[in-house]
Amino acid sequence: MPENIQHLVMWLIPLAPLAAAIVTALLGPKGMREKSHLPCWFGLAVAVVCAYVLLFSIVPGGFGEHESQAVVAPGYQWIDVGGLNVRVELRADAMTAIMLSMVTAVSLLVAVFAAGYMHGDPGYARFFACFSLFVFSMCMLVLSSSFLLLFVFWEGVGLCSYLLIGFWFQKPSAAAAAKKAFVVNRIGDFGFLIGIFLIWTTFRSVDFATVLGEPQRLAELAAAQPGRITAICLLLLLGAMGKSAQFPLHVWLPDAMEGPTPVSALIHAATMVTAGVYVVARCTPLFVHSPTAQVVVCCIGGVTALIAALIALTQDDLKRVLAYSTVSQLGYMFMALGAGTLAASDAAPALATTAAMFHLYTHAFFKALLFLAAGSVMHAMGDVIDMKRFGGLRRALPITHWTFLAGAAALAGVPLLSGFWSKDEILGALYSAGSSESPYHGYYYAVFAIAVFIAFLTAFYTFRAYFKTFWGEERFPAEAGHHPHEAPPVMAWPLRVLAVCALFIGGLVALSGSFAGYLHHTIGLPHAEEPGLRWGLVFVSVAVVVLGIGLAWQMYVAAPRMPSKLAAAFRPLYAASLNKLYFDEIFWAILVAPLRGLAWLAGWFDRVVIDSIVDGLALVPRWLSAVPVVFQNGRLPSYALVMWAGLIVCLALAVRLFASY
Amino acid sequence: MNASLLSMLLVPLVAAFVLLAGRGLFSQSSARRFALLASVATLLLSLSFANDFLKLPVPSPRMSPVEPRFSVAYHWFTYGTAAKDANGETPLKFEFLFGADGITLTLILLTTLLTVSGVLISWESIRDRAAGFYACLLLLEAGLIGVFAAFDLVLFYVFFEFTLVPLFFLIGIWGGPQRRYAAIKFFLYTFAGSVVTLVGLVALVLIASSAGVAAPTSMPALSQWITAHPLPNELQIALFLAISVGFLVKVPVFPLHTWLPLAHTEAPTAGSVMLAGVLLKLGTFGMLRLCLPLFPYACQTVGIPLMASLAVAGIIYGSLCALAQRDIKKLVAYSSVAHLGFCLLGMFALNAAGISGGVLQMINHGLSTGALFLLVGMVYDRYHTRMLDDLGGLAKRLPLIAVVMVFISMASIGLPGLNGFIGEVLSLAGMFRRNHVYAVLGTTGVVLGAWYMLTMLQGAFFGPLREPEHGDQAIGDMNLREFAAVAPICVLCLWIGLQPQPIINTIKPDVDAVVAVHEAYLPGNERVAAAPPRANALINPTPND
Repeated sequence: MPENIQHLVMWLIPLAPLAAAIVTALLGPKGMREKSHLPCWFGLAVAVVCAYVLLFSIVPGGFGEHESQAVVAPGYQWIDVGGLNVRVELRADAMTAIMLSMVTAVSLLVAVFAAGYMHGDPGYARFFACFSLFVFSMCMLVLSSSFLLLFVFWEGVGLCSYLLIGFWFQKPSAAAAAKKAFVVNRIGDFGFLIGIFLIWTTFRSVDFATVLGEPQRLAELAAAQPGRITAICLLLLLGAMGKSAQFPLHVWLPDAMEGPTPVSALIHAATMVTAGVYVVARCTPLFVHSPTAQVVVCCIGGVTALIAALIALTQDDLKRVLAYSTVSQLGYMFMALGAGTLAASDAAPALATTAAMFHLYTHAFFKALLFLAAGSVMHAMGDVIDMKRFGGLRRALPITHWTFLAGAAALAGVPLLSGFWSKDEILGALYSAGSSESPYHGYYYAVFAIAVFIAFLTAFYTFRAYFKTFWGEERFPAEAGHHPHEAPPVMAWPLRVLAVCALFIGGLVALSGSFAGYLHHTIGLPHAEEPGLRWGLVFVSVAVVVLGIGLAWQMYVAAPRMPSKLAAAFRPLYAASLNKLYFDEIFWAILVAPLRGLAWLAGWFDRVVIDSIVDGLALVPRWLSAVPVVFQNGRLPSYALVMWAGLIVCLALAVRLFASY
Repeated sequence: MNASLLSMLLVPLVAAFVLLAGRGLFSQSSARRFALLASVATLLLSLSFANDFLKLPVPSPRMSPVEPRFSVAYHWFTYGTAAKDANGETPLKFEFLFGADGITLTLILLTTLLTVSGVLISWESIRDRAAGFYACLLLLEAGLIGVFAAFDLVLFYVFFEFTLVPLFFLIGIWGGPQRRYAAIKFFLYTFAGSVVTLVGLVALVLIASSAGVAAPTSMPALSQWITAHPLPNELQIALFLAISVGFLVKVPVFPLHTWLPLAHTEAPTAGSVMLAGVLLKLGTFGMLRLCLPLFPYACQTVGIPLMASLAVAGIIYGSLCALAQRDIKKLVAYSSVAHLGFCLLGMFALNAAGISGGVLQMINHGLSTGALFLLVGMVYDRYHTRMLDDLGGLAKRLPLIAVVMVFISMASIGLPGLNGFIGEVLSLAGMFRRNHVYAVLGTTGVVLGAWYMLTMLQGAFFGPLREPEHGDQAIGDMNLREFAAVAPICVLCLWIGLQPQPIINTIKPDVDAVVAVHEAYLPGNERVAAAPPRANALINPTPND
């Protein structure tokens, strides 16, 4: 493909959604109204086509060769001062192309669904303007050529997330959730920004090409200053933890479910929250030089995945179950990213990163599907999402039921479906790291065990939600009216397409080996032979999945009174899980309340102490003036007295002075 | 160009005198139209001046770290006879030296733009003695342009103090309930600070004149002499501290800031816009113009720890205070303390990234905080309250104001792609290169800033609609006049965010000259000088830093 056409294609991917956002924002509210989705659809369609053109053009000559370079589409000079040189330009390599093919495709499907879901909302145009802006930011994030430019769109997607979580801004809970998401993300960004500064002072550049693309120099630097590389990695990780909702910064994501469901599907499940995973994967060449940072990544992923899965067990809000599941799955990806230790083998980093990216890819499809199906349930149930208030929907909502089942099965890791393949690769990577000679291999074994346990929990809570929603006695809430309606075609078709993807894309990609074969054209990911299926692992993961689904069946279909008995028996555990392990309360107690108190104290201190000192100082001249005021009283005798005193002093001085001569 | 520089100064000045002289003849509507005409004329003049200025060649080699790229000089008076007098003292030459370098230019443009917005926002709300109000506003504009364009210490100081007078009246006459107290406090506080600066300046001029500098009050001559003959270290520190005091009060730096929230809450909207938008920059501008180039040793030894600590304290303390406020205007006022902390932090990084970031932060804070005050003023004009407890969910009632408010708040908290980010990130990056600790502490302001701004947005604009009783009076969204006041600012916020390089390039020669002074004076901080600094190397910056 001619170079300039390729550059044009690259620029079109983000700019088409941006154009759609601008058109919708300007014309939507007054002009297009119910047709406001059209620019968005069109822009996203263009982006999808371009993304696939890029996907197939960027790695030329088959997947096997390894000489492919990143393609850079030139832009303009953004900042050039004092050695900080950043250009606004696009850079695409294999990892970028894979991300883009997923982001644009899922975005388009969700946008189609949203046109039905959001129909009749007074903010219809605003929704699609923000939506398109989000896709623009997300594509730019993936296409960025430097850390600083990435940070720009890192915050850009954060802004869109803020605007869309707070879409129904009159709901106090939505307004609060939007703020929480932004501020918690800023905590991560704090680390990210300092990480960028440190990269800049270490490498004298913030370009990916310079920082990541020179392995020789990187290895020398890492040998000379291992602490510095670890610091950079951990700071970047802090940023990734904010965006990808990792413990302890995961608290914003469940609350973000206040946004419209298509937003949850796209931003808070499939794309934006995976940006952290993308960044860590992108920085694999840095992370491999810091085994400490890697094991931290792995453990944070493990802890996050575990606590999120434990919380998901008892939630009654269907969207919250999915939200915690997302947190848990993101934790899974982090576990994989952290497992790429060179101690296992030279190929381990590439294999681990590939596993994480693969899981990111398959997860995007089945989790978007699950959210959209949940949205379809909400749509039918009159915006009720509490699973205690409905049940047995499988007859009333057949399409939703089947597609949800497809997503649930893929998420649970039912053999041969998408989730199964990617989860298997992650378990394999963890196991390799555990059996390596890394000084941290004990940790890796522990995380491996946790991962297996989480696979069981995932299967259980996913099917718990499924059975509670679609099985049992048929019940509708009052808000739904008497005849809940199945999703209209505009919502049903995206569900069907996503269901097909969720079922088969993993197997297709895994069996053909194309994912790894393609992804290794990324800097810092050397080609690695895939070890193939490890039957022992496969057996374990199939066993836990069957166990989880079976237990869910037993508890929620066969013996529906069992859960409440269990809850009563393990009251404290149940309450802890139901209350999200009290994370919000802990955060409030150790962070929010002290800072609020400090703020109050600062305000008080400013008013009472500092300002009083200022006003007090202003009184000093007045006090001093009290002395002369005594004499300046307008009475002749006082003036005469002062005059006499003055005269005497003068005379005395004069006498003294002249006496010395 | 001569004409346009001087007429930028004279047009508002003359217009102000016309308004004052004929204040009985002007009605509210004729006064505001006249003021609009004058301020727009000044804006156009400044734009045409900028257009000419950008075509000027950058002088190379530079003679002095502080050097106008374009200047107009008028002889004022000479003290002493032309020949050396009996005591061997050279005659002292005083002249009106007006000029412009890149930093001046950007700040003048900021001033003229914000003045137009200030006139537009006062259109309806100032009914009483309108002619006097607009006269003060225009006088303030003239004074501010004067400070920025002055390249002579006497002129600089005169204009620096002169700006207090119109703002004193703006607050004291057209202000809120506590206006008298606020105006007097504002005046005395900043004046007291400036007096110390004056002592330092007088000492500096005396030292220079006794050393035989022919024009000791001319900044280019003075800085050229000092660069070639650095002052003794202790003297540098003493003068640096003395001259800084007035600037630190003006910035304002914690703990010298308490006049600011009070002045802001009591000032009329246009007064707040000018105060936050431009007047505060006099502090940082003075620091950049005088302290950094003249006292490199003092800046590096005393300046960095002192100023960076004060800046960090200001960032954190200002943010916390902002978080505690229930009055939106006060919240924005405290946010200024934090934002100018970034500015100071960047400047005392003493490298190109930091100082450029500091200058950009001055402009950005002027734009975004100016716009925030405009928006708060719009809300106040409608509801006569600014308390978060009385307001809520206004996005429903005032959608356009809410959209612009969200936009400007994002600019203010440094969302990348908008202007605030560039200033913050360059300041912090510059400081990070100088000292990790200050930079990391300063970066916490990024989190706190988001917290207090979004708390304000959430409280006033989101949630269920809650508004004070307003009787039968219909509450309308932003009208065309208000839109005209705030729209150019929004456009600039976006433009600077996307394209900061033109501004960076405009100020680059002047920033580089200051950086060169520091790099040559104390080598080893960033770049180990191979050879001892030569006089010429002191002045002429090396490229690519």
